[in-house]
Amino acid sequence: MTAPSTTLEPEVGEAIDFDRPWKVLVWDDPINLMSYVAFVFRKLFGYSEEKANRLMMQVHTEGKAVVNSGPKEKAEMDVFRLQEHGLWATLEQDS
Amino acid sequence: MSQLPFVRTDEGVQVNLADYEVETLANLITDLRYLLMGEEHEMLRRLKPPAHPGDDEAEASYREMVDDELLKGRLDGLDVLEETMDGGVLDESQVGAWMQALNNLRLILGERLSLEGVDLESHDMPDSPTAAIYGWTGELLEWLVRAATGSLPADGSS
Repeated sequence: MTAPSTTLEPEVGEAIDFDRPWKVLVWDDPINLMSYVAFVFRKLFGYSEEKANRLMMQVHTEGKAVVNSGPKEKAEMDVFRLQEHGLWATLEQDS
Repeated sequence: MSQLPFVRTDEGVQVNLADYEVETLANLITDLRYLLMGEEHEMLRRLKPPAHPGDDEAEASYREMVDDELLKGRLDGLDVLEETMDGGVLDESQVGAWMQALNNLRLILGERLSLEGVDLESHDMPDSPTAAIYGWTGELLEWLVRAATGSLPADGSS
């Protein structure tokens, strides 16, 4: 469980396409409780218990999960709300 | 804890903390408020993870957009804790404020343990006051999530 790697940077010369959606990622960290993370996914995104638990387990076992995607402003708002809840959230443009 | 720290009632979520627990929380709140209102501090690292790692420009504009609001929300949340920790009954928005505040306290305590060299992945926590309080805030949050889960729709919209 480490910090997001620097490989998230777009490759040099890559054109930025503003139409491509942005992904909202949540990263694993050793502090946030699993039950709390799943609760936050349900509360913020209205996900079912099953979907929230699946995403939470993906964060836990794979180190990260895409929890939502959309236009940049919306993705940034999602990241803000996740960070407000203390989760380790970032956004990146879909490749 | 002789009884559950949070119990769902018809009026909301009832806070049932012993006097020493209220006192401990009050001390943690004072410490966190002091940290939040002070200069940038490494202890706050986990409260402000970058949204745009690897893109300094986007990160700077994101931070400018959210930092004041994040700070205000965190301070307001601590106020809610203080006002209701001694036997209050929480409405839904206060439950949210409690969860965020308890988690903020955990993030700070966890960061303190990390800086002391504790491996947070390990279940082998040191026998220290910080580790004990860290574990206790986790229990409180766990109980609050249980008490609050009834407020969510049985099945989500997606």
